[in-house]
Amino acid sequence: MHLDPFELHRPRSVDELFRLSERLGPEGFDLLSGGTDLLPNYKMHLNVRPHLVALWDIAELQGHQEGRLGAMARLADLEADPDLRHAYPAVHEAASLVATPLVRASATVGGNLLVETRCFFFNQSLPWRESLGYCLKADGDRCHVVPQRERCYATFSGDLAPALAVVDAEVELAGPRGRRRTPVLNLYDTGGDGIRRHHLAPGEVVVAVHLPEATRGLASTYAKLRVRPSFDFPELGVAALLALHDGRIQRLRLAIGGLETHPRRFDELTDPLEGELWSAERAVTLAEEVRKAVRPVHNTFLPPDYRKRMTAVFVRRALTTLAERGAAASA
Amino acid sequence: MTAARRTVAPPTRLLGGRIPYIEAPLKVTGRAEYTDDLKRPGMLLARLLRSPYAHARIRSLDVAAARSMPGVHAVLTGDRYPTPFGVLPITHDETALAVGKVRYLGDIVAAVAADDELSADRALRAIRVDYEPLAEHVDPRVGLQRVDEPIHARGLNGSNVQKEVAQHFGDVDAALARARAQVHLRATFAGVTHAFTEPQVTIAEATPDGRLTVWSATQVPHYLHRALSEVLGWPLHRIRVIKPEVGGGFGGKSDPLPHEIVCAALAIETGRPVKLLFDREEVFLTNHGRHPVQNEVTIAADAEGRISAFDIQALIEGGAWSSFGTVTTYYNGVLSMGPYRVPNFRYHGRRVYTNRPPNGAMRAHGGTNLRYTVELAMDLLAEQLGVDPIDLRRRNALAPHSTTVNQFRITSTSFKQCLDAVESRSGWREKFRRLPYGRGIGLGAGFYISGSNSPIHFSPRMPQSTVHLKVDMDGGIAVHSMQADIGQGSSTLLAAIVAEVLGVDLERVHVVRVDSDVSPIDIGSYSSRVTFMMGNAARQAAEHLVEQLLHAAGELTGYPEDELVVAHERYQVGHRPEIGVSFLEALHKAIERSGALVATGAYTGPPMGGTFKGSRAGTSPAYSFAAYIAEVEVDVETGLFDVEKVWAAFDCGRPLNRLAVEGQIEGSIHMALGQFLGETMSYRGPRLMNPSLLEYKIPTPQQMPEVEVLLVGEDDPEGPFGAKEAGEGPLVATMPAVANALYDAVGVRFTDLPVTPDKVLKGIDARRSAGAGWKGTR
Repeated sequence: MHLDPFELHRPRSVDELFRLSERLGPEGFDLLSGGTDLLPNYKMHLNVRPHLVALWDIAELQGHQEGRLGAMARLADLEADPDLRHAYPAVHEAASLVATPLVRASATVGGNLLVETRCFFFNQSLPWRESLGYCLKADGDRCHVVPQRERCYATFSGDLAPALAVVDAEVELAGPRGRRRTPVLNLYDTGGDGIRRHHLAPGEVVVAVHLPEATRGLASTYAKLRVRPSFDFPELGVAALLALHDGRIQRLRLAIGGLETHPRRFDELTDPLEGELWSAERAVTLAEEVRKAVRPVHNTFLPPDYRKRMTAVFVRRALTTLAERGAAASA
Repeated sequence: MTAARRTVAPPTRLLGGRIPYIEAPLKVTGRAEYTDDLKRPGMLLARLLRSPYAHARIRSLDVAAARSMPGVHAVLTGDRYPTPFGVLPITHDETALAVGKVRYLGDIVAAVAADDELSADRALRAIRVDYEPLAEHVDPRVGLQRVDEPIHARGLNGSNVQKEVAQHFGDVDAALARARAQVHLRATFAGVTHAFTEPQVTIAEATPDGRLTVWSATQVPHYLHRALSEVLGWPLHRIRVIKPEVGGGFGGKSDPLPHEIVCAALAIETGRPVKLLFDREEVFLTNHGRHPVQNEVTIAADAEGRISAFDIQALIEGGAWSSFGTVTTYYNGVLSMGPYRVPNFRYHGRRVYTNRPPNGAMRAHGGTNLRYTVELAMDLLAEQLGVDPIDLRRRNALAPHSTTVNQFRITSTSFKQCLDAVESRSGWREKFRRLPYGRGIGLGAGFYISGSNSPIHFSPRMPQSTVHLKVDMDGGIAVHSMQADIGQGSSTLLAAIVAEVLGVDLERVHVVRVDSDVSPIDIGSYSSRVTFMMGNAARQAAEHLVEQLLHAAGELTGYPEDELVVAHERYQVGHRPEIGVSFLEALHKAIERSGALVATGAYTGPPMGGTFKGSRAGTSPAYSFAAYIAEVEVDVETGLFDVEKVWAAFDCGRPLNRLAVEGQIEGSIHMALGQFLGETMSYRGPRLMNPSLLEYKIPTPQQMPEVEVLLVGEDDPEGPFGAKEAGEGPLVATMPAVANALYDAVGVRFTDLPVTPDKVLKGIDARRSAGAGWKGTR
């Protein structure tokens, strides 16, 4: 399984990156950060481009400080940061649960946010895909999971996005037309065909993720369903944040990943509960509502009905844990 | 006195201790030489074109464009070397490249040798193949009957049945009619594969002196040697097979494989050295892993739980080729009685070809899946009779020095000691059926051959294993043997046996890399035969050598040889230890007589087995026994469970290298847990869905239980220093122990492997909805 030759570019600033993007756009390029997902996909000849633009030398993308995670910050560095663990537990847990220590040493925040969606019919070698007939997502015109020709059902498999969503994180984007900040889940184009999955303008790049003061120190958690306790992508990822005051819900957020084409937050279920009294039944009811709302398909290891059922268990457990933690903290 | 006749093992100095692998310093520093590390001048790279169809006729094959591409040196197709081969002489149904027809998605259609991988891959894409797709056969049940276009012409009566075995000893129907208790269980097993670390890789070079050298990652250099000779039409003595270090085999490198022949053919064609290295997907497609099986077990017993009959059926999915399948079909029956005395036995087994990657031998070949069903049935029988499962097994244990109903010769067995050990160490009496709901403890038993008594390719009167020793005045001992160390520690054991007998330090002994030009034939690493057979051969060779050294020591000391004993690096008078000579003094004296000393030792299996058809299948000079207890904790809401602890009592006779034995037991438990927890060759139709180490779920270290190894075997009368095998038998008790622990935890028998959390949950649901409570639940 060979890697096709490509030309590697290493811009030293975002401005240089924009100039490169413009120049290479017609031929096609991909951004390269940790490479832990992109390069294996290239070996499988999945949507290979002739140019790779590495983000390694752009200073402002590197590292993380209080409240700001550079797009090139390594997951292993997040994992090793005790302040992050106390300030934004869900983010810390999600980063720590990605793949393996070796992968986390290379993998980055930006890379995990924009990680390619996954599917049994997509993440296969060229001969494998060729023998079946290419799929919508690479080289073909039909979906093998849900037979039709319009929409891709590959599964969003990042762990960070749901965790960042429940702490109300924002992404900072830079593009040839300037900079903007937007809530993390606004990155994802949920109305699209599943192939174009992001609201990134041409040449636009994730610079950093900003963690707001408002959620600092609040109880949050991330739980991940998978066959093995390491290595595997999520079959389901549940992030939750719960702040109680005098037994009432002050702030409540729920998000999931690993189930559908996009990560998703359930504000329509949680917003109406603000100010309401917390009870164990609320966790059960919410969990059931989330379960009803999700639509996994059969393109990962565990069957979709099981993953759907586990959504309720994981949401309920996450909320129960947080409520107990909150109760313990206020006691 | 030969090793085979010795009944009492002498006290030992090295053996029985913990001996680190002699090659370990090279492996852990990256200096060990594997096939992929070798570079030959002017070496080309080969790549294979694989079939995109599971079953199709090849109408035409056009390689002209590929041949003329830059950097391409040769393109090979099936018509060049069409001679069929296979690991068993009776089932030669494979060819190096497809001839006329492809039989699974991934079957080899053409091969290219080029300057580099990119040129080779480009050439592959330029090959035009016109296929006529044929009906795909993926269901072994359908393949039992006559089908259109059977996968092989040799299928029985126009079906896809590769092998059918029907055996009956005693009178099973009469026993069933008389039985006071009877249990019946049916189970289904997905295929699993070896997933060794080192992918298959071969380098071949044909030289102008008319010789061919092949370096390959193989477990059985000798069978490869024979297959190369047969298919290429070269005499054996002009072919040289070398086995560098091998990064794991587990049975997957025991067949001679088509790519090895293809690589050699390309070397002959180009006159250049050629390397062929698989990527991971090709490793999965080559498979030869554990067969998917559906089996059924009926056990009959009297009121006291004494087994009166086993009635067993197995439907075995073979995949595209025979491989070891005839052996598999026998083993799925004959190895089922295992540690128990079974007076009446009936077995019906069928192995059916399908258009999927071939299945073959994998660690505890043929003895794993049926053992699972038998051990669950034993648990069921104990429950039905109200007997403790350990007591039930005690009541039925095979006696030492007995003969089974199918004429297996049983010599040593410490099965009862295994049961005693796990019972007391695990706290069984306090825990069984007494742990809270969701927590459980269970027992599984094990049994396996310590080497197949039948060499596959030649008369059983010829030695299966030969060891040569050479020692010159430098005092280093060179050991030659075609034993195949594949990471299991056989080179270390070989060195240690020689050092033990000679009384010298281990560092004096050099195990020479397997090379058919100089190594005497040993039929390699499969069927857990190496410790027993090579061990005896090595011991015999070393004893012949030490006789020469003691003779020289006698000359130097003036004492008769029979008064001299072997001490550490010294030969001395038994009753006057201060009188003696060093190893080197004795050696130099001996060399005066004849030059460098040489010695040879060999092992030939004793005659055994009945006279009926298939009677040799499963015969072995010794058998290993095991009793494992596992303790599990189930999350009854998610179906996820932890195997927290395994108590593993194993009878390998006398363990010669405790470090290696413990490693084999821990590794076997890991491998068995893989099959139980989630490893699966996952197919949709003929298509393998998960040919990668990401989607093929080998357990991580976090999933490993704590393992307590209990080595309780007594010396085997014929094993070297009393030893038996410890490479495969340690696997088989694991899965049933865990399954029986799950039953104890939640009251569900899991009979569809792997047991993924969704299945656990379904089982718990089904029990609940049937209104059947368990340990306090409703």
